[in-house]
Amino acid sequence: MTNNGTSSHESWGTRLGLILAMAGNAIGLGNFLRFPRQAAANGGGSFMVAYFIALLLLGIPLMWIEWGIGRHGGRFRKGHMPGMFTVLWRHPLAKYLGVIGLAIPLFILIYYTYIMAWTAGFTVSSLTKDYWGLATQEQMVAYLHSFQGIGGSPYHAPWTPYLYFTGTFALVLWIVSKGVSGGIERLARIAMPVLFVFGVVLAVAVLSLPAGPGGETAWDGLEFIYRPDLSLLGSPTVWLAAAGQIFFTLSLGQGTLHAYASYLSKEDDIALNGLATAATNESAEVVLGGTIAIPAAVTFFGVTGAVAIANGGSYNLGFATMPVVFQQLPLGHLLGTMWFGLLFIAGLTTSVALITPAVAFLREEFGVSREKVVWTLGGVCFLFGLMHVTWLGRGFLDEWDYWAGTFGLVVFAIIEVILFLWVFGPDRAWREIHEGADIRIPRVFKHVMTWVTPLYLAVILVWWGKDDALPIILNRKSAGSSAPVVPADEPYIWGARLAMVAIVLILAVLVHRAWRRNGYDSRKGFVEGTGAAVPSGGSR
Amino acid sequence: MSTGAIAFWLASWAFVLGLAAFCFHRILKLRRHHDPDGIGPAHPPQHGAADDA
Repeated sequence: MTNNGTSSHESWGTRLGLILAMAGNAIGLGNFLRFPRQAAANGGGSFMVAYFIALLLLGIPLMWIEWGIGRHGGRFRKGHMPGMFTVLWRHPLAKYLGVIGLAIPLFILIYYTYIMAWTAGFTVSSLTKDYWGLATQEQMVAYLHSFQGIGGSPYHAPWTPYLYFTGTFALVLWIVSKGVSGGIERLARIAMPVLFVFGVVLAVAVLSLPAGPGGETAWDGLEFIYRPDLSLLGSPTVWLAAAGQIFFTLSLGQGTLHAYASYLSKEDDIALNGLATAATNESAEVVLGGTIAIPAAVTFFGVTGAVAIANGGSYNLGFATMPVVFQQLPLGHLLGTMWFGLLFIAGLTTSVALITPAVAFLREEFGVSREKVVWTLGGVCFLFGLMHVTWLGRGFLDEWDYWAGTFGLVVFAIIEVILFLWVFGPDRAWREIHEGADIRIPRVFKHVMTWVTPLYLAVILVWWGKDDALPIILNRKSAGSSAPVVPADEPYIWGARLAMVAIVLILAVLVHRAWRRNGYDSRKGFVEGTGAAVPSGGSR
Repeated sequence: MSTGAIAFWLASWAFVLGLAAFCFHRILKLRRHHDPDGIGPAHPPQHGAADDA
């Protein structure tokens, strides 16, 4: 990418590197574990219809909106949401709304890295055939617990979860410490091709499996996902599930796409790049994600067994079912290594994005060097992560995942759509997205972004609020399942909530101090090109 | 597989792969902002003031 001095502190090395890094941010564990489970559990063909409509009305418009907000913020040298929101809305409240965009990616980073650590452990275990001989899913669940630190599992020492978590977290921080071009982009250029090669090999291997014990094949698995049961299109659950999946898979509402886009100059395209990012992610999800786990499960456990597995959750599918399948295949240990390696890579390229907004904030507003910020901030996040390692079985992680990784994303997305399309204005937003654009976006999308996308988000928020958020905050329902909260877990769940509130408050204080330290006047904004405070009496 | 499932399967794949092909065809055809020699940007990224702190 060009750097003409108007972009933020750093810039991307190449356009392809940018797209791969953005796609790497979007392609995560959900592409390979959550998508096939959702498709199978929500009517297959019906889900796919709702999924593609959500992609067009919610996913791609939000992708352009987030790239637009990010690049616009970058013109004022703001790679973080408090600054970007202040650029859009010159009001003192804007920076505090932006705190949500600093907190959410940090919350997700902390527990997501822990889940990544399990994939790291299983990658090593697959290569060394450590779980070979554990032939049932129940045994594999117990084996997974040895990486989760749950229930005194006999397979690994109690310190094993801490070891893998520490190593994984250190790797993420080391990559981010190397910078945008030298760390994140270099990782994407190496990891993304590897991820796609692993995915293609696994998909081909699954599709060429012989019939399983019940006579089913992988093609029956595809039938299971794509069966055209259109009767379910009348069910709100299917539409909400599809919209939710689009949200998660494109990494929307997290502040990470904005941070990456802030490293672009105003001459750089975002319309085509944003679309290419969404298309790359969708290819990985629909083509690869839909062809591996569920078809393999159907082959070996039949459709009924696969339904039970899908309803049992993503972790069971990925960590308990797939290892049982691999043990029955020739070169199964290599396929297992590829499967968990693929999940690890998908997680890694997402994790490095999650810490970027907070790093940008601390660097830009407090003038601290990248390395110092990354290792200090990372160290604090690591300490919070240890709580997840220690209290996973108490619902600690589920609580964070729900409030930050599910409900919070929609809240943040509604705020950003309102600020960009309604406050900043639809005409200015449309011009911003088209500046330097390599394609003309059909004009209908301007109206979609302005009216349909926020309405869609509002419906999701109200529905989830009624069905999930309210019962969860009242502890009538667990964040990780529909079962009520166990009384013994309540202190840990309240502890999880208090920890999140504490982090939000600390970030809000830091934002307040940054504004005072740098003499910013929220009603005047920042000087374009430098990000400095507008001099008294001046205007941007 | 049933005919309906095959139709949904092929339509889904065609949509996402077609979209990806369109995007990357345009990107490669335009070659704008593209790194011509594969060794990085024409002008190295500037260091921000924070880097020197």
